[in-house]
Amino acid sequence: MSEAYVVGAGQSDFGSFPDESYRSLFTTAYGNALDSVPSGLSTEEIDEAYIGTLGVGGRQLGLSGPAVTEHVGLDGVPCTRVENACAAGGYAVRQAVMAVRSGMADVVLAGGFEVMTDVSGESVRYWLGVSGETEWERLSGTTFAGVYAQMARAHMEAYDTTAEQLSRVAVKNHDNGAKNPHAHLQFACSLEDARTAPTVADPLTLYHCCPTTDGAACALVVSEDVVDEYTDDPIRIAGVGAASDAVGLFQRETYTGIPASRRAATRAYETAGIGPDDVDFAEVHDCFAIAELLACEDLGFCERGESGPFVESGATALDGELPINTSGGLKSKGHPIGATGTGQVVEAFEQLSDRAGDRQVHEPRYGLTHNVGGSGGAAVVHVFEREDRGDTTEVER
Amino acid sequence: MTDTTRIRSVGAYTPALRIEAEAFADAWGQFEPPGIESKAVPDADEDALTMAAEAGRRALDAAEIDGNAIDWLGFATTTPPLAEAELTPRLASMLGVSERSRLRSFTASTRAGTQALLAAPAVETALVVAADCPRGAPDETREHAAGAGGAAFVLGPDGSAPITEHAEHAEPYPGTRFRPTGSERIEGIDVGTYERHAFTETISTAAASVETDGATAAAVQAPDGKRPYRAASALGVPSDAIRACATVHELGDTGAASVPLSLARALAGDHETVLAASFGSGAGADVLRIEVEDAVVSDCAFDGQRTLTYPAYLRRRGEITSPGVDTGAAYVSVPSWHRSLPQRHRLVAGQCPDCGALTFPPEGACSGCGALVSYEQIELWTTGTVETVTSIDRGGAPPEFAGQQARSGAFGVAIVRLERDGNTISLPGQLTDEAAVGETVVPVIRHVYTQEGVPRYGVKFVPRSAHR
Repeated sequence: MSEAYVVGAGQSDFGSFPDESYRSLFTTAYGNALDSVPSGLSTEEIDEAYIGTLGVGGRQLGLSGPAVTEHVGLDGVPCTRVENACAAGGYAVRQAVMAVRSGMADVVLAGGFEVMTDVSGESVRYWLGVSGETEWERLSGTTFAGVYAQMARAHMEAYDTTAEQLSRVAVKNHDNGAKNPHAHLQFACSLEDARTAPTVADPLTLYHCCPTTDGAACALVVSEDVVDEYTDDPIRIAGVGAASDAVGLFQRETYTGIPASRRAATRAYETAGIGPDDVDFAEVHDCFAIAELLACEDLGFCERGESGPFVESGATALDGELPINTSGGLKSKGHPIGATGTGQVVEAFEQLSDRAGDRQVHEPRYGLTHNVGGSGGAAVVHVFEREDRGDTTEVER
Repeated sequence: MTDTTRIRSVGAYTPALRIEAEAFADAWGQFEPPGIESKAVPDADEDALTMAAEAGRRALDAAEIDGNAIDWLGFATTTPPLAEAELTPRLASMLGVSERSRLRSFTASTRAGTQALLAAPAVETALVVAADCPRGAPDETREHAAGAGGAAFVLGPDGSAPITEHAEHAEPYPGTRFRPTGSERIEGIDVGTYERHAFTETISTAAASVETDGATAAAVQAPDGKRPYRAASALGVPSDAIRACATVHELGDTGAASVPLSLARALAGDHETVLAASFGSGAGADVLRIEVEDAVVSDCAFDGQRTLTYPAYLRRRGEITSPGVDTGAAYVSVPSWHRSLPQRHRLVAGQCPDCGALTFPPEGACSGCGALVSYEQIELWTTGTVETVTSIDRGGAPPEFAGQQARSGAFGVAIVRLERDGNTISLPGQLTDEAAVGETVVPVIRHVYTQEGVPRYGVKFVPRSAHR
């Protein structure tokens, strides 16, 4: 079985772009991904493509993968659209790894896109809602924010987590996003801003919720046979874990964590041969502030119930012991649904290749990405390793 | 006396919302309908069918029987949520009345409630439900009077209150109160003397064939708070007998449920002889005499809970709000919805024959052992506990709930845990009032949403602290 490496990753700006189409955004991301490959990579070298998108607005529900790959000249390359709600991009990356590891492909494009800001608020609420459980959860009148608010309420009841601790996630991620030229919301937010913002779904305020965003992001995954053609500093996809679960929150064993995240993380750590303590930075799925707190626990960065104090301690800040969401996360960088998972890989790639500018973490070896679909119906975790920053895995190989 | 219909139990339901006559007077300079001090207002997710389900459950509970004991179900309303469509089968499903029962619908007249009572068979167990929520144009006296509520009666050979006599009379009186085809609003041409004449003539002619002596309570049709007293001499009762069980003064004009609600109040009280006199414009009247041999068991919610301002009333009525935007919404096809009716209407869960765990809805792999099994059907219509909750504020509702939210404001959505013999299920449910984690809630039937023109009903939860 071949190892898989990420040799390039790039994204469009995330934001609201009335003058852009999903195809033009994808073209930008694709071009930036190609340009990021140290030794260069051209369109003809790509064997396979996986594209994540939910299809917000219903613009191209059928064949939405080929609709963007043919646009960038990948005619003839097999392309599969991957749909796992907000985890579509992360699962596209996972498919790329599987294609490489199976030996069927040497160079695989994992991409994602979404355009969300050119439709009415009502329409967006519809599209966000279709990733929850439709027949019961949705028809109880709840929204996506409402389901995460139920998780927040349960966490607050169980562990005395506070609204201020939720707000601290927003403040931190805005601080990071303000340093990211690709981020949607490049401004700082104060605790007071978060506290006094309008309530979206009690206890979540507007600043506890990510924006709806337009954007695209791509990653290039290659096999060990060809990785040397593209880079001298290989970044290995060392760990891959994924799990699915009941789509509706009410059907799950707990409301104060995401079981699919726990299972995906366990598997990713096992396959990478590391534990949570080895992770140098992480991009986690913070569609709502509570989601980042849950992720800290589910990924093993802190004990269950301890994520509030953990975030409050500054441990997850850019200069903390485990920087989380250095990109700004979904909260500040933005959440163009299908592009979010591949967008996380862009940050991991930039951090591990020391290209993260003002957000750069000092010489990281392991980076982790965590992408959740819906409120936990699917989750995928990847561990990336900069191979030249350690020797243990060399021995294992 | 097997040919005498006997009332065994009564149930009554009125919405929790009230508006005072003064609120109308403040807005309009005066409140026209005489004798109404306040009236009941349905919430945005209440209608004749949901009120019928509430009243029907209460009558069944009072009689301590299940819906499957019912052989005949009659549903009376002048305000069916659909002008054409059998709604009584849905009511039967909500109440657990079995499919072998005979179902009848009565409509198009405020006399429909008593018509249903008189149509019920004497030798079987019957359930008669009348619920109504008439409406008029906002600037009309009929709208100002229009209230809401429902009453239900379990009838059977062992009932303690036989309908000993009854008579009816009908003759044409065109132009009295009517509702044109396609309209939701009752109208009238307001020829006062003519209307009053129609009312008293039909009732007195019917009453002439019924022994009316000795009645201490008389349930009389009440389009306003003055009209029923015009029937006092025709019925040979003092005004106090009408006042003894009148509901119009606090509930307003409850249409086809007017006489049933007053009758429910009379039977829930300690009256021995009760008269009932209904009137339907056009015109016809029923007069009934009921002798109470033994106390009739009852479960009635006549009291209101919250008082609305006039603007809040207009919002509840949908007079100043837009309907929800149809974006296609979270599409649940009608056939899909139909398959889930036992769950929507009666909280039927599945019990695993292997491990005993409960699964809701009862399909797919068992929540306990993961096996694909054929579930035993278990009805879990019982109080539950709030496990977690949020509030969906204005602007944040899914499109299919936007119209309801515009009318009723923010609403809570909880995950509720139901328990049976140590096994539990959890399901998401909308709350009709605020409830915190750990609070006990009671299931009720409400309008969930309308898609493709089809109103869909299902379970919501009322905090027990707000349940009447």
